[in-house]
Amino acid sequence: MSVGLLASATPEQELLLDSSSRFIERTMPLPSVRELAAGSGGVDARYHEAAGSLGWFGMLVGEEHGGGTVSGNGLLDAAAVAAERGGVLQPGSFATANVVAHLLAAEGSRHGEVLARLVAGRARATWAVGDVAGLTPGAGEIVAGEDGGGGFRLDGDVRHVPDAADCDLLVVTAHGPRGLTQFLVAADTPGVQARRMASLDITRRPGAVRFHDVRVGADAVLGAPGDATAARFEWQVGIAAVLTAAESVGAMHRDLEAAVEHAGTRIAFGRPIGSFQAVKHLLADLSLSLEMAKAVVSAAAESLGSEPPGSEPPGFGARDGVDLAHAAKAFVAEHGVELAHGCFQVFGGVGYTWEHDHHLFMRRLAADAVAFGSAQWHRDRLGERIGVG
Amino acid sequence: MRDIAAEHDSDVGAEHDDGDNAAPERDDSAAPEREVRAPAQALDEYRARARAWIEANLERGQASGLRRGDTDPAAIAAGRALQRRLYEAGYTGITWPREYGGQGLGPEYERAFQQEARGYRLPDLGIAGGTTFGVCAMTMLAHASADFLRRHIPRILAGEELFVQFFSEPEAGSDLAGVRTRAVRSGDGWVLNGSKIWSSGAYYADWGMCLARTDWDVPKHRGLTWFAVPVTAPGVTVERIRQITGDAEFCQEFFDDVVLGDGDVIGQVNDGWTVAQTMLMFERGGGLSHGTRTTGASTGVAPDLVELARATGRLADPLTRDLIVRAHVDDVARRALLARLGERMRTDPAQALHLASYAKLVSGVHDPIRADIAMRIGGADAVNWETVGADGACADGAHGDAVSGDAVNRDERPGDSPGPKVAVGFLNSRFMSIAGGTNEMQRNSIGERVLGLPREPSFDRGKPFREVLRDARGWSSARE
Ligand SMILES: Cc1cc2nc3c(=O)[nH]c(=O)nc-3n(C[C@H](O)[C@H](O)[C@H](O)COP(=O)(O)OP(=O)(O)OC[C@H]3O[C@@H](n4cnc5c(N)ncnc54)[C@H](O)[C@@H]3O)c2cc1C
Repeated sequence: MSVGLLASATPEQELLLDSSSRFIERTMPLPSVRELAAGSGGVDARYHEAAGSLGWFGMLVGEEHGGGTVSGNGLLDAAAVAAERGGVLQPGSFATANVVAHLLAAEGSRHGEVLARLVAGRARATWAVGDVAGLTPGAGEIVAGEDGGGGFRLDGDVRHVPDAADCDLLVVTAHGPRGLTQFLVAADTPGVQARRMASLDITRRPGAVRFHDVRVGADAVLGAPGDATAARFEWQVGIAAVLTAAESVGAMHRDLEAAVEHAGTRIAFGRPIGSFQAVKHLLADLSLSLEMAKAVVSAAAESLGSEPPGSEPPGFGARDGVDLAHAAKAFVAEHGVELAHGCFQVFGGVGYTWEHDHHLFMRRLAADAVAFGSAQWHRDRLGERIGVG
Repeated sequence: MRDIAAEHDSDVGAEHDDGDNAAPERDDSAAPEREVRAPAQALDEYRARARAWIEANLERGQASGLRRGDTDPAAIAAGRALQRRLYEAGYTGITWPREYGGQGLGPEYERAFQQEARGYRLPDLGIAGGTTFGVCAMTMLAHASADFLRRHIPRILAGEELFVQFFSEPEAGSDLAGVRTRAVRSGDGWVLNGSKIWSSGAYYADWGMCLARTDWDVPKHRGLTWFAVPVTAPGVTVERIRQITGDAEFCQEFFDDVVLGDGDVIGQVNDGWTVAQTMLMFERGGGLSHGTRTTGASTGVAPDLVELARATGRLADPLTRDLIVRAHVDDVARRALLARLGERMRTDPAQALHLASYAKLVSGVHDPIRADIAMRIGGADAVNWETVGADGACADGAHGDAVSGDAVNRDERPGDSPGPKVAVGFLNSRFMSIAGGTNEMQRNSIGERVLGLPREPSFDRGKPFREVLRDARGWSSARE
């Protein structure tokens, strides 16, 4: 059963979600996620390629690049898939892969070959964004200087980069001589050094990347530096926030589902604990939060992913969409963790065990809560829309 | 998650909640789904006609500004007159069946009319208008006899009959199926005795939709019948009750040998619980507009709170701004939830009653939070304010007025202070967590009917209601 991010899916969306869930169930069910967590490696290449063939990395990309959407709104489709992924705590960074694909598609055919590999799942990409705009305090930043020969040199160290050590391609958001500048950098460029970070969320593989005198040509620049990139950055964060929140929603759904199941079968005082109102009402409240989370995330995806005619740059949704994305991430970041707490309480002692899956969900929800902007950061962005005086 | 509604037997425990199993049969006119699309041209023509009529007949301006609570008879009379003009022009009951005075058109026509009428003054019939059109008539359309509907619905549409809810009693609120008002068969009619309470707007309404017990020797859900009771019938006494806001909007009614006819019965005798389920769905917001995806954030960030913060000089304070944005985030999620629920109810009508509990609970939980945010932003200004006399000079703010918010309509007006509005908002903020089924009832419904959690033990299931009352008297304290 789908986690049901969408209130109603089109038959094509259903097909996409169904094939995605079956793929997950076949190749990376929770026991496999645990195995992966116990080891030190990342997810294997076959998983990634198979995911690519399902269309996971091409939903924000036009058909000319091998992508396409089933509903006409790629972000909505992607969010629905993200929710299914989140429900089974899938590894790898779906959000950054899609952000990068979207960004490269906006470059027309310039990066066509790289993009095709990315969409096919034969290359993996992540986004080194650091603390740009205060997104992740303490994450560090990259500075880009002109190298005198028309190219740039990048220096700095950024942390909290999803799958940093397992990617072939990096999009780097850097402070350049003409303002915010984004670069496409191959992970094997001399001077680029990725390392893993330990994580509360053992189902993911975050890392850090050090740039030491990394030389890139002018052709590595994505879009126009300065204001245009700053504007684009907002959309990127919006997309990453929506997809991350959608994954959280999937995790919330499954954690709650397990708690409900537990409440229906665990007996105390001669009755199932779910018949006690203290338990039942807690679960009802959590389910209200979950419904709201699904509603606000899908509304954000729908709005941010819809393309009003003549939108500039093409492929970027309505202004409303960015605001809704902030609201969605702010809502889910807090209610996701709260839901995990509530479920934990319902599980009782068994929820404290390594063996029970609950802690995996709880870890994931806490980590997602701060990925691509904490609730506070997203509220601050919305707060900037309030005039003072 | 699981849908186990069908597994429940037919007389469940807890109340102002669903109690019973299958969704009641409904007439399509009341059902959420309706997919017939009007040909674009017909709709355009309709819209143009409506616009012309609106421009020629309605005044510009928002709703009449009737305040909850202290409804002025002249304002209500004006509301009724305006309602009649709309009725005569064919702009009420746009989606309701033609044979009962409606227009029998699709929801897109209703929407078109509402869009064209934006910015114009539509009839305001106060809270009784809300109960009439939002709950009572919708429920009647689903269950009442054709004869009943022919008598009442056209008059409702014409503003002649306002219906209020005679549901709750001094001894039965959440446990709606536990009502004790009795209707006894007498000749070819009925005699009603008992009392109803908290009936919003009853003092200016024409009819009450009344739930009464007609059989005491069967389990509580099975001995109930609905009646339409004229508020002015001999034997009906209405008393207004002063509320925490100082308003006196809700009432208590006493029925002393009120004579009713068979024609006043709504639905089948002793099958009142089926009707009640439809009623509860509308009460919970099950009639909310369906499939409208207006979730945009374009209305701005909680404009009312921004205005409040500006008025109290706190807008630059980062903590205040964060509170405002928190409220905004919840506002956005709530709007999105309602759109989602509309869509889910459309695709899963059998679950509509239970899904509607989310619409009710979200208000019950979040209204108080939002009111609390307003109180925090308002600070002392939301607690104390200066009043201005009719002559514009400073007046001594009497306590009664200071907490009643009635100051707005009385001789003493608050100065420029935002205080009264915030304070009244605070006092009213638990309306949705209690009225029309408490948060706990919604949580039971969601827990049991949506999540499929096990029922709690019940002490009245399957027992004749007479015995239920007798046995309940035997409960003792845990300390005894
Ligand atoms: C402003 C306002 C307007 C109203 N308007 C109308 C109206 O127009 N017509 C009308 O008929 N009624 C009206 N009501 C009445 C309203 O529907 C009832 O107040 C409501 O259903 C609760 O019933 P009660 O007040 O008897 O509280 P009770 O049922 O006595 O409940 C008291 C507390 O006990 C809890 N409780 C009760 N049973 C359970 C249970 N099984 N499990 C857990 N907790 C339980 C309740 O949740 C609540 O917290 C109005 C009420 C208000 C406040």
